[in-house]
Amino acid sequence: MTFTVLKSIKVLNPKTYFNDISDVVICNNKIFSICKDFKTEVTQQDRQINIYDCNGLTMSPGLIDMRVNIGKTENLMAIQKIAAENGITSMVILPNQTPKLNNPSIIDHIKRQSENPNLTKVNIYGAATKDDHGLEMSEIGLMSEMGAIGFTNGNKSIKNSLVMRRLMSYAAMINRPIIQHAEDEDLSGLNKASTTLINGEMNEGEISTRLGLIGIPSCAEVIIVERDIRLAKLTGASYHVAHISTRDSINVIREAKKIGLKVTCDTAPPYFALNETSLLSYNTAFKLSPPLRKEDDRLAVIEGIQDGTIDAIASDHRARSKDTKAQPFSAASVGASGIETLFLMTLELVHKKIIDLNKAISLLTINPANVLKMKKPSLEKNELADFIIFDENYPDVINQNILKTSPTPFDRRKIKGKILGTFINGQVAHINQILKDKIIK
Amino acid sequence: MNKLKKNKNESYYSSPVKLSSNHLLAIEGMEKSEIQDLIERADYFANLDRHTNTKVLQGYVVLNVFFENSTRTRVSFELAARRLGAEVINISLINSSIKKGESLLDTASTLNAMRPDLLIVRHPHSGAPLLFADYLNCSIINAGDGRHEHPTQALLDALTIKRRVGYLEGLKISICGDIANSRVARSNIHLLTTMGAEVRCVAPSTLMPSNLQNLGVKCFTNMKMGIKDADVVMLLRLQNERMTGTENPSEREYFKFFGLDEAKLALANPNAVIMHPGPMNRGVEIASALADDTNRSLIKTQVEMGVAVRMSIIEALNHTKNKVMKN
Repeated sequence: MTFTVLKSIKVLNPKTYFNDISDVVICNNKIFSICKDFKTEVTQQDRQINIYDCNGLTMSPGLIDMRVNIGKTENLMAIQKIAAENGITSMVILPNQTPKLNNPSIIDHIKRQSENPNLTKVNIYGAATKDDHGLEMSEIGLMSEMGAIGFTNGNKSIKNSLVMRRLMSYAAMINRPIIQHAEDEDLSGLNKASTTLINGEMNEGEISTRLGLIGIPSCAEVIIVERDIRLAKLTGASYHVAHISTRDSINVIREAKKIGLKVTCDTAPPYFALNETSLLSYNTAFKLSPPLRKEDDRLAVIEGIQDGTIDAIASDHRARSKDTKAQPFSAASVGASGIETLFLMTLELVHKKIIDLNKAISLLTINPANVLKMKKPSLEKNELADFIIFDENYPDVINQNILKTSPTPFDRRKIKGKILGTFINGQVAHINQILKDKIIK
Repeated sequence: MNKLKKNKNESYYSSPVKLSSNHLLAIEGMEKSEIQDLIERADYFANLDRHTNTKVLQGYVVLNVFFENSTRTRVSFELAARRLGAEVINISLINSSIKKGESLLDTASTLNAMRPDLLIVRHPHSGAPLLFADYLNCSIINAGDGRHEHPTQALLDALTIKRRVGYLEGLKISICGDIANSRVARSNIHLLTTMGAEVRCVAPSTLMPSNLQNLGVKCFTNMKMGIKDADVVMLLRLQNERMTGTENPSEREYFKFFGLDEAKLALANPNAVIMHPGPMNRGVEIASALADDTNRSLIKTQVEMGVAVRMSIIEALNHTKNKVMKN
């Protein structure tokens, strides 16, 4: 038996509100002990022990990223590895990739294919409807049996109200959430009817007027959220709004929660760290869906995070090749990378004293687990050893040239924090040299 | 403005303008003095006898790269460059490499390899000339990008007004029509507000862009109110597909409320002039008779001034580039 000992580490466990400096002993794939002095727990001399001196470092459960797009040119295993390097021990991938994840066999296939004890665990959202038109319900019961943990049409809104009603009703029956990308496609110009003549490119307002880009009004989001909340009330479904970005939608969700509906939402770092003024140089790294909104919306996202209206933070990773981004704004692809900056940008909220560290970690661990009805990760004796070790004050700069995915909307941003180690199933999935140097010989 | 008036008579403004940038991408952000200098220099060119030798740019290579159809702008640029003695190559990329799937940047780097001095680019996407400016070594002139800007049009409009009225500051100028989709409107708004004119925008609410008043203009959805006492009425082209129940119910309804006719024009300053960047839809945004009224319509003068303005810009960019290199 091999023991790994993390000596004098600050253990942060949001599930039990435990926050103390302890010695942590890992054995096999479990947490063997969390105690004041590991020597009281591990005594036999013949056992092999790796001891890390973790003084000044923090340990928390591994991050759960509840929204990752795997692009056409991306390899799932490569993304799992990058996710692990960035503290994500479990991620949920969207169904709108090629091929579409819309039947039980493909869910099963990806589940098996992605199983690797040393890589980030992959969970899957099944496609809510069989086709792009969003009219026919998929086999969500069978997909659920194969391990799909929720249902969504990914980056497209579930548009038809009747389809949405039936989906919610059915999903409630099998106790799975429906995840919605809330956007009225007629208003945003994504519905290619001959009468629209538009194709929304950014948030509508003064900036879109100056740049001559076609605006998407912010109400395109809340219109769908309001409708869906009424359907959630009708059906009793668990309804989750992904990457929420406007004040109006957040207000509506706050009210829905007050009356006890099973409504949740997440946001992504661009929506609390940036606003539409970033687009003034036509930089396509900021071409996102939903679009970056005005400053007041950004502040509302922060308020929503603070008061708990926003349940979780997801990376909304949607990496794009340089070729599809080095285009005029209108022709460029939509989306930006996120898995490499999720933790750092969330930690920025802590450094800016917007939330405390415990809250930040909750938003990235137990909260998404709660929304998705997964087992809540916890750092306790006999629990699975999926955790991260980080230095919350390590000064650094986000640099696109060093990142493995692109484009990042946070290039050249000064941040504080660094993931030094990621353990999955008790095994080292990623270890930084700084942590390697802390092994006590 | 006194300086402008003085120059009209004396036309002593006989040296090239130096700009703060190697490119002319947008009016937004340009200094008032730069705009003024370009207009004055263009005025000088406009006053020259057409046969005066202005061939100061021998060996200067200009690529006219158009990703969108254009007749007047392309010809105007070509004529301006040729009158300065430059070599001009026209490239229409509407059906060419784009259709073959070549990316814009590959097209740009191919053109760059031919070492032009100046690239004049028109593109259907807002911001595309900025991308060219980032990746090419030569100067770039934006000849119209999407809904963003058409800076040379605004400069030639300003020259046209200045030559007719004598000044810009304090003038009441009404820009009427499809503001939302117009790059001409945006460039004119930036230029005219910078020069101290009172700019009003008149459009049906479906074609009025969001928060336009933040650009320093007054917005009207009632044309009669919008052109009241105006010194200049500037009309914009309305695309055919926007008149069929999309942004507007019909052509005749548009003309009734937003087309310029004698009755509406009677509300403007009695000496008001009419402008249009072309091509016109007669009977849609303007009554045909008004378009041809030589006393009031400056539409043909606009076209004429286009060449002079573009000469002053091309010359200025060459001058600026030389200055930068010497430094």
